[in-house]
Parts: sequence; C-alpha cells; structure tokens
Amino acid sequence: MPRLDLFRTTAFRWAMTLAAAFTGLSIILFAFVYWQTAHYERAQLDDMLRHEAKVIAEDPANAVQALKTWLREDIHSVRYGILVAHDGVAQAGNMPALPKDLWPDGKPQYASTEAQDADGDERGEKIRALGLKLLDGRTLGLGNDTDALEHVSVVIIRALGLGLGPMVVLSLLGGALLGRRALGRVTVLSKAIAEIREGRLSGRLPLTGRRDEFDRLATDINAMMDEIERLLDEVRSVGDSIAHDLRTPLTRARTRLERSRNVVTTPAEFAAAIDEAMGWLDQTFAVITAVLRIGEIEHGRRRAAFQSVDLGQILVEAAELYDPVAEDREITVRVGVDQASAATAMGDRDLLFEAVANLLDNAIKFTPRGGHVMLSLVERDGSAVVTVADDGPGIAEADRKRVLERFYRAERSRQREGVGLGLSLVAAIATLHGFRLTIGDNHPGCRVELVCPGSTVALRKVGPIKSDLVNQGAI
Amino acid sequence: MPKLLLIEDDDITAAEIASDLRWRGFGVEIAADGIEGLKQAREGSWDVIVIDRMLPGCDGLTVLKTLRGESNKVPALILSAMGHVDERVRGLRAGGDDYLSKPFSLVELAARVEALLRRPAASRETLLRVGPLELDLITSTATRGRRSLDLLQREFKLLEYLVRREGQVVTPAMLFEEVWNYNFMPRTNLIHVHMGRLRRKLDGPDETPLIETVRGIGYTLHAPA
Repeated sequence: MPRLDLFRTTAFRWAMTLAAAFTGLSIILFAFVYWQTAHYERAQLDDMLRHEAKVIAEDPANAVQALKTWLREDIHSVRYGILVAHDGVAQAGNMPALPKDLWPDGKPQYASTEAQDADGDERGEKIRALGLKLLDGRTLGLGNDTDALEHVSVVIIRALGLGLGPMVVLSLLGGALLGRRALGRVTVLSKAIAEIREGRLSGRLPLTGRRDEFDRLATDINAMMDEIERLLDEVRSVGDSIAHDLRTPLTRARTRLERSRNVVTTPAEFAAAIDEAMGWLDQTFAVITAVLRIGEIEHGRRRAAFQSVDLGQILVEAAELYDPVAEDREITVRVGVDQASAATAMGDRDLLFEAVANLLDNAIKFTPRGGHVMLSLVERDGSAVVTVADDGPGIAEADRKRVLERFYRAERSRQREGVGLGLSLVAAIATLHGFRLTIGDNHPGCRVELVCPGSTVALRKVGPIKSDLVNQGAI
Repeated sequence: MPKLLLIEDDDITAAEIASDLRWRGFGVEIAADGIEGLKQAREGSWDVIVIDRMLPGCDGLTVLKTLRGESNKVPALILSAMGHVDERVRGLRAGGDDYLSKPFSLVELAARVEALLRRPAASRETLLRVGPLELDLITSTATRGRRSLDLLQREFKLLEYLVRREGQVVTPAMLFEEVWNYNFMPRTNLIHVHMGRLRRKLDGPDETPLIETVRGIGYTLHAPA
C-alpha cells in the first residue's frame, strides 16, 4: 500500500485534524495555567518586597543592619538590596548602585541590576524590584531575581511537551491504523469492482458482516449490480430477438427479390414479387417501430400528454374496432360495463386504446373459432378494473410473467403472426400510467386485468349499462 | 399541374419521392437543406410543401415557423423519423398541416398530399352525393338509389370520409386517424375487414361496387361510370 495513499485516507486526515485541534487546545490551556501561576508567583514576590521595605522603612536608624540581615538570610542567593545615602554613596547591599530604571515610588516593578549578585556571576539581570525613599533621605532598593517565574514557564513548557508529544505520536499512529484499515477495505472493494469492470458481471462486492458504512455501501452497490445485470441480460436477449425477428423477414425479402430477378419475366410477376418483398420489409418496420415505441413509453416521455380518459368509451370503441374480425372468426365479443362505465383515468388516450386493442387482439387471435371474449370494466376497491377474458387455451402459469418481457412468445404461439411485443407494450403502457397488469386463469382461457388505481369511478344509478354497440346488435 | 416543393436532405429518398410524385402528375422541385428550402419556399409559388423534420442548416420546424410567421399559408406536410404523438403535435403546432412518419409508402405520401390539396373543398354541405349514393349528414342516413342503407355510426363516418375524397386513394392509416381518431396503427387488415362490411351494405346484388381496393395501398370510392 503506497504511503501517500494512506495519508490521503479520510480516517488519517480526521485523526490529524483531531490531533491538531487537541494540540491547539492544550497550548491555550497551558498558556492559561502559566499565566495564572506566574501571576501568583509575582504577587508573592511583590508582597515579600513590600513587606521587607515596610519593615526597614519603619526603623531608618537600623536600616543598614536590617538590610544586611535580610541579605544574609538569602540562602538561595536570589535577593538584591542596596541602601544609598543622599550623596549617592552605597552604604550597604550587594548591588554597586541603585538600578537606573528603578523608580523609588514603593511599587514593585521590573528593573535590571548592573552588578553581580551574591554569586558574582550575573550582570544586567532582570529582577523584580522595589525602590523606596526613606524618611531620612536615603534610598532603599530591594530586589529578587525572576528565576522562579522562569522556572514556572520551563516546567509548564516541559509538561506541555511531555503531554503533547505522545498525543501527537498516538494520533499519528491511530490515524495511520484507521487509515490503513479503511484503505484495506477500499482496496478489497476496488479489486472486486475492477474484476466486475473487466467483464465478470456476476461478481459482487464482499461484505464483512460488521454492518458498517462500507458494508452498507457494498450492499447498495451489489443491489445496483443485480439490476444492471438483469437489464443487460434483457438487452442482450432483446438484441438477439430483434436480430432474429428482423433477419427472418429480411432474408425472405432478399431471397424473393433475388429469385425474382432471375426467374420472373412478366410485369405481373414482377409486381407480385415486389409486393411480397414490401410485405416482408413492412414486417421489419413493424418490429422496429414496436421496439421504439416501448422504449419511448418506458422513458415516460408521454406523461406530459395525460388527460382525463373515459375508460368505458375506450372499451366500447376497441370492441367495435375488432368486431368484424371477431365476426369473421365466429368469436363472440361482449362488452360488460357496469356502474364503472363512467370511470375516467388520467392517461394518454391513444396509448390506453392501444393497450386495450392489443389485449383484445391477442384474445381474438388465440381463441378458437366459436369462442367467447369478454371485455369488462368494473369497480373494485375504488379502482376501475379493465378485464379482457377469453376461453382460449390460456397462458401456462410459468409463462405468465415472461410473456410481459419483450419478444417473449409462449411456444405454442410461435407459429402465429406477430412479433411478441404486444403484451410487453401493454405492460409498458400500464407501468407508465401506474396501472397494474395481471395475467390469470379464466377457467378455461386467459384473463388479463388492468387495475387502474387513481381512476375516478362515478357510480351510476341505473343498473348494468350496455354499450350502444350491444344495443345495435353489433356485439 | 400542382407545384410541390420537397425539402429533404437525403438525396436518394428525395429522388425517389420526387420521381414518384412527378409520375403522379406533380411538378416537383427539391431543396436539400433548410436554408435553401426556406429560400425556395419564399420565392416560388407552391401548391404544397413536403418538408423533412430534421434538416441540415435549419430544421424543418423552424422553416415552417418562419414561413407561417410571414403569413405563408401554403399547405405543408412534415416527414419525420419521429412519429410519436408529441412530435406530431409539435410539428402541427409549428404550422404543419399533416405529419407522416418514416418509413412511409410513397402512395401514402401521395394520398396525403392530395388530401391536403383538396382540403378547402371539404365543404359544410349537409348533403353529400356521389353517383347514386346520397349521405344526409344531419340525419346520419345514407341511401343508394332508392335503397336506404342500414349503417352503424362508424360505418357512416367511414363512408362520409370516402365520399368527401371521391376518386382519391385513402390509406388505412388515414382512415384510422380520421375516422377512429386514434393515433396508432392497428393490425393492417382490421380496416380491410371494416371496409368489407361496409361494402356488403353498400353494394346490392346487381349493383356496381362503389369502393375499389387499391392493392397494397388503400381504397378509393368512385361513382359508377
């Protein structure tokens, strides 16, 4: 694993961000502690200086003695003192002269010594000092070095270093560890994705079972892959089916034309050959048109043209359209519209008509001579339900779902005309409208239902209504 | 001779359409792109324009919109590979008078062009007559000679459409769009079956058939000679 990648992991970056935040906070905290401690130390020093100055000033006659005693008691060699006569001569003390920057106002302040301290090793040291004019005109200077204050800062900085150092190191380690772990998972996932990308579409991302964010993401991606695989399979089989369904009529057209070119002699024969070839070409166009239409419907582009559609009217008109064909095949088509005859649904009138016409077309095509087809519109649970039922051979239970797929044709219907797109077209139209399409058994025969939720069903007071067509004896 | 401007960029399709329409007695000029088409449409005096939807330079709908904007009212038929309802609606709103989606048969195109040329003749008369046939649009009754015809409502509309286009070829697609008012192509023999039923009612045992089937194309209604 390249080190650069590790540093780029979110986990590592988070660890670093947190470490930086903690460092910043610690510094602020230690600075506060230092400020408070130093303030306390300084106040102690100032009190001590003020107290000593007060003691000496109260008894000027013994000032020299008192100063000497005070300096003598200084076992740590931190004290400075001087007593200067009004002529400027130092009478006692361990400083050669009064610090020039010491103001004799009795207030503690910072000043610099110009002389050696008791050890004789420091010059120009910064001290905390106090200057005071005694009642007899002499000037007293008292001081204490600031080593204690410096010690405070040293101790605090050392504590800061001791605390922060391990924290930063631990953060780095923790971040690296977390980053490594995340990177490990990502690497595993990347590898799995790379395999899928290389064509092994059945591959899925591994799960750890920890149900963490990676597992959730992997589960989602796997679900997406399932769908993609299904769609690709569908596209592949649709592609194969289209190729097959186009190849057949195109081959027929080509061979017919080729043969005609060699054999045909009279204009009438030519015309017949051309007519036949055109018929095959029309069939290829029908396939292409149907595929394009399904694609268009599935993309939902037609939703914009939705309007209120009278379902009963569509049923009656579809029945009327197919009536002569049914009559030719001696099939009885009945339209039964009960109180739901006043059902309206929001939809595309042409598409809904096409759906019903397709269902009716199928029913008539597969119903044997002398059979019956029932087209009905009823109200169920507040929704209008369009039913097309026949007493033909029906659709085997295993086939019921598959017939809705593009180009699928149940084996026994293979020989019949059509491109196997009718029901998938109906399914696409149903989906576009949010309707439910179910294929069931009519005992015997097939029963297709189009349940239209959201349709408005107005109850009619009169009993069962028959269409005009039924009244006219057409059905 | 009706003058027709064909704006189509595919030269093979254009040549095929043009020679077919010339054979049918139209004077046809071809423009190969939208800009040239617009220019010719403005300059010439045309009886009808056939225009492809997608054209290089300036697309068909823009050409039509421009022409209509200039109060050019010459009837126009749009040809398009896009046959969906919303595309048709867009085409018609842009100023097209009819819309034909590709692939189409030449005869369908010719029939629609003829229908466009005849359009103003679709009068408001309430009594239509062709030979012995008489249609009363108010009472929705039809008679042939002295025989009254027992027609269903749809059959009456079908006959009315044919009568209004006497002598013209009408295709199943035109009938389905105009008589049934639905925009999709059902099984082609459906219209044929309807026509068969209408014929049986129309022609008595010794009468000359009025509706002629034009093989592979459509139907035409003639008054008997």
